[in-house]
Amino acid sequence: MENSPPTMDPASPLCGIRPSDLPAPPREAIRIVRACSDPDIDSRRLGEMITSDPVLTAELLRIANSALFGLRSRVSSAAHAVTLLGHRALRNLALCIAMRDALKGGRLPAEELDRFWESALRRAVSARALAPVANLETDECFTAGLIQDFGLLVLLWLHPERVPEWGRLTATDPEQRLELERQLFDTTHDRVGMELAKVWELPPSLADAIAFHHAPILQGLDPAHERLARVTRCADWMAALFEADDKRMVFARTLALLAECFDLVGESADGVLARVAEEIDEAAEALGMRIGDQPTLDQVLRDANLRLAEENLSFQELTWRLEQTLAERDRLAAQLERELSLAREVQCGLLPRDARLGVHGINLPAHHLSGDFYDAFPSRGGRVWFAIADVSGKGMHAALLMAKTSSLLHCLGKGITDPAALFATLNRELAEHPIRGMFVSMAGGVFDPESGEGVLVNAGHLPALQALAEGTCRQFPASGPPLGVLTGSRYTPFPFNLREGPLLLYTDGVTEARRPSGEELGIPGLRRLLRSHLRQPAGERLQAMMDEIRHCKLTTHDDLTLLLVEERHGD
Amino acid sequence: MSYEVQLERGYAVVYLEGEIDMYQSPEARGAILNCLGNGHHTLVEMSAIRYIDSSGVASLVEGLQTARERDLRFALVGVSEAAMRVLQLARLDGVFTIHSSVDRAPEVK
Repeated sequence: MENSPPTMDPASPLCGIRPSDLPAPPREAIRIVRACSDPDIDSRRLGEMITSDPVLTAELLRIANSALFGLRSRVSSAAHAVTLLGHRALRNLALCIAMRDALKGGRLPAEELDRFWESALRRAVSARALAPVANLETDECFTAGLIQDFGLLVLLWLHPERVPEWGRLTATDPEQRLELERQLFDTTHDRVGMELAKVWELPPSLADAIAFHHAPILQGLDPAHERLARVTRCADWMAALFEADDKRMVFARTLALLAECFDLVGESADGVLARVAEEIDEAAEALGMRIGDQPTLDQVLRDANLRLAEENLSFQELTWRLEQTLAERDRLAAQLERELSLAREVQCGLLPRDARLGVHGINLPAHHLSGDFYDAFPSRGGRVWFAIADVSGKGMHAALLMAKTSSLLHCLGKGITDPAALFATLNRELAEHPIRGMFVSMAGGVFDPESGEGVLVNAGHLPALQALAEGTCRQFPASGPPLGVLTGSRYTPFPFNLREGPLLLYTDGVTEARRPSGEELGIPGLRRLLRSHLRQPAGERLQAMMDEIRHCKLTTHDDLTLLLVEERHGD
Repeated sequence: MSYEVQLERGYAVVYLEGEIDMYQSPEARGAILNCLGNGHHTLVEMSAIRYIDSSGVASLVEGLQTARERDLRFALVGVSEAAMRVLQLARLDGVFTIHSSVDRAPEVK
């Protein structure tokens, strides 16, 4: 996010910092700076001014002859320097010296000053590397980069108690640093820098570069000044690449900024960044500054990639964990599947298999386990019990209640041959321990295989059907509520004779089966189905009916159970 | 399915609407048991029920059993034709107290 432009309004002082608080420039150097900026001064006069300060002269000549300037011929005098370098370059050189020496030997420890100037040099060489693409002079860019953050040094000079924060300030990126400065000093280095530029009467191009290297660049600014401000903005991020903790983020931002400001992308951008690392030692030597061992761009990028690798590692770990979780899910699903298959096997074991009793059943659960069941077993006096039942609900809980009911029926049926009495007992057993209102609708009874005579009871179940010889169907509707609803329920028995026709018992999954038209099969449909397969043997008839039901069922949403009870023939 | 609970004539009246199958019935069950759990005589208004399966009926049965345990009144009111058919087939119409409307339920003093 861009920051609001610094203001020069004297009514908005720098949070208590007055111009008089700011450090005074070295007098001789600043005199040269001002003279260089004077359009009326001639080279001879300028040379004389420099020569009058032998220390400054020696320093100027040393720097002018360093690799930093790369002059072909050796500069031997101040006059020669003026001729060779020109007024502006000389001014910049004098300014660098002035800045460098401004806060020496004062409140700030020498090592902290060195740390600042190392960062400043990095910005300076970054800015100089951008000079060709910005169409600006290298010395101008170098000087702008060197002094753009000078305000920060001034802030530390004014608040030496904040010097321990220096490490934090350099480890951040330029935007975060500005925010940290606000927290630490109530102001920012660019605002202080602007104030300093006024007091020190810095050239307008440099003052603008300081003013706008964080703030939005003003419309109508001199194009060269604007380009210099862009250079300093980029230089800030380029230098941060070598110092900030989050190098990957800074690298990405720097590349984006270079592309935006100067259309520098790919190898061109890499080339500019590489120069920063290559040239900083040379610049430090030229300006007589102490800096530590410098990393190459490759090393910096390796650091950034290392960070990327760490994040990739964490991504890989997440992927690994996800794979483990999915594998665990699959393992548990397989285990559950095995358990359900075993449960189904047990449930199937509860169903009768002896077709000789004249009772044929078929059960197809909607899910693994069925809430329906049917049973048939011999009882006292050669009679045969048969029953079909449907537990309310579906799934595991219905299957458990189904197993309980089936066991009770099987056990009680061995000794009780009165269906009404057995159903009343069953009902009491189930109603005494109600579970979530679950109940069992059941229809069943007892018959004598020899005579075909029997008695049927219906506890809240769908009507049992008897296909009569004349082509009609008799219905045996519920004569009492389902089992398990209320204790004390009574059930009226219905007599029947299998010689009049077979009995068909079924669950609601059958009658609620829908035809392709959407119409439910219903009891009338089932009656028609029963009659249409009357000529087939019982087992085949049941399977044929079930096939037809399954064929016409659009969605399997309930258990399907059919029970056919018929007179035995010839055995 | 949706439901609404109102206090009327000394009852908590649970207005059920829509289809009550095994996926929806837990919500209906919760509403009914919540009323009874708070000690309210409870009516279940069923005029807007289009479909109810055995798990839905089980919720009503559980309501009935819970009310009996707690000595609270429990009745079905305005039972829709679709729901009544299910209750009649299972002979549960004789098990539940059924009123034609909330106004027909005897007022609780």
